[in-house]
Amino acid sequence: MAFEPTAIKAVSASVTPAPGVKKLPEVVKLIDVSSCIGCKACEVACQEWNDLPANVNRPFFGSYQTLPDLDWNFWQLIKFNEVQRDGRFIWTLTKYQCMHCGDPGCLRACPAPGAIVQYANGIVDFVQENCIGCGFCITGCPFDVPRLSPSTGKVYKCTLCSDRVGAGLEPACVKACPTKCLSFGAKDQMLAQANYRVEQLRAIGYDKAAVYNPSGVGGTHAVYVLPYGDSPEIYGLPKNPTVSFVDVWKGGLRWLGNLVIFGGILGAILHYLRFGPRRVPSEEPVSGDNG
Amino acid sequence: MAVQERRRVLVRRYSLFERIIHWVVAVTFVYLMLSGLALFWPPFFWLAQVLGGPTLVRMMHPIVGIAFIVALLVMLAMWAKDMVLDRLDIAWLKAAPKYATGQEEGVPESGRFNAGQKLLFYLQIIAGVLLLLSGVILWFPMQFSAGLRQASFIVHDLFAIIAIGALILHVYMGLFYIRGSLQGMVEGVVSRAWARAHHGRWYRQVEGTSAIITEEAHD
Repeated sequence: MAFEPTAIKAVSASVTPAPGVKKLPEVVKLIDVSSCIGCKACEVACQEWNDLPANVNRPFFGSYQTLPDLDWNFWQLIKFNEVQRDGRFIWTLTKYQCMHCGDPGCLRACPAPGAIVQYANGIVDFVQENCIGCGFCITGCPFDVPRLSPSTGKVYKCTLCSDRVGAGLEPACVKACPTKCLSFGAKDQMLAQANYRVEQLRAIGYDKAAVYNPSGVGGTHAVYVLPYGDSPEIYGLPKNPTVSFVDVWKGGLRWLGNLVIFGGILGAILHYLRFGPRRVPSEEPVSGDNG
Repeated sequence: MAVQERRRVLVRRYSLFERIIHWVVAVTFVYLMLSGLALFWPPFFWLAQVLGGPTLVRMMHPIVGIAFIVALLVMLAMWAKDMVLDRLDIAWLKAAPKYATGQEEGVPESGRFNAGQKLLFYLQIIAGVLLLLSGVILWFPMQFSAGLRQASFIVHDLFAIIAIGALILHVYMGLFYIRGSLQGMVEGVVSRAWARAHHGRWYRQVEGTSAIITEEAHD
């Protein structure tokens, strides 16, 4: 854990409140897709800072993309999406990694106490020593980010370089970016910068440009500026990500379970008290010496 | 005081094989229930510690699940014949509230299993199959699509809840309410009186066969 317990705002599977009391400013990594040149410096910096050996021996799959998808040892990826828009071909180079949701579906899905934490600054971190390898977070995540390692049986994802941020540095990917496509800072500052960039893009003809900071997951701490903001799916981003499935799974079903289990036990006790045990009287005629 | 001696008539109800299969299903079910509850709701998480730690529980739950489903399918094969619902079972179900409140009159006699037991059996078989199918998907989350995994969580949790509810009913009936039942599943025999009272049609079928055991009992 990169931050002390006093900075922990939310803990997975905890029946008691999180220990966080600190008021840290919320941070945001801003990704301005319009200025990404696909150089992959961020990918390299991520691998290097986190000492992750990526599996580069996969067969060629017909794309400039480094790997087809994220992996347990590959936490961020520039997606080279090839799409058609307004009758022409466009390449939406989109950095993809954990979004660090305000309302993280992974954290709510996780059954292991303390395996997923959210810091007061908005970073969502996996604590592998508490991880049990169930993979529930993979299903709880609306962005399909966590990856289970077959060798360790634990899940991994982007930490937003919580170790660097905890030491007052920006994430490795941001530091490596040569075009200032990536920025990192206080949330309101980054959102102001994002809105300014959207205005610039609109002024040069991208009239659908928008900030991608989806409210369905409580906002994110990785925020995008999308030139074609009306269709985030062309960037490989879900249009309306929500955690409503987690609500059903961890809300409704839990209460149904409690009702059945505790209601069932209570019902059995009450039935027993009212109707007692049913014994069959012994019918056998007593024979032999009857004393 | 003279020793009281009397004859005790017992009826063989479950063979050794049937009892072994039943208890394999029972033990694996209880493990699956406790380990599943640990992962289902944080206040039950301590169960995972009791069962050897949460990581081990996560590894073992699906493996024990396979053992459970195998034993359950053997059970289905061995009892399928006795579990067929017939016309008298429908009448029994109509009279089920009487049976549940201890009234004897107006409750039709049951065969080897009563209609309630049969429905419970089918419920557990259906739940078992759905738990298996959804469980395999949840076992390997990286191999299946998000939609399939989400559906599996709903199915797995819902049918686990249903199966646990059915288990509570089953344990209550067998251990607490209908006295004398447990002996059948442990020792394999029940008293003749019990057989007549709870499974009259079955008793008449086995009457006069080697299923009836008469022994001298000393009290």
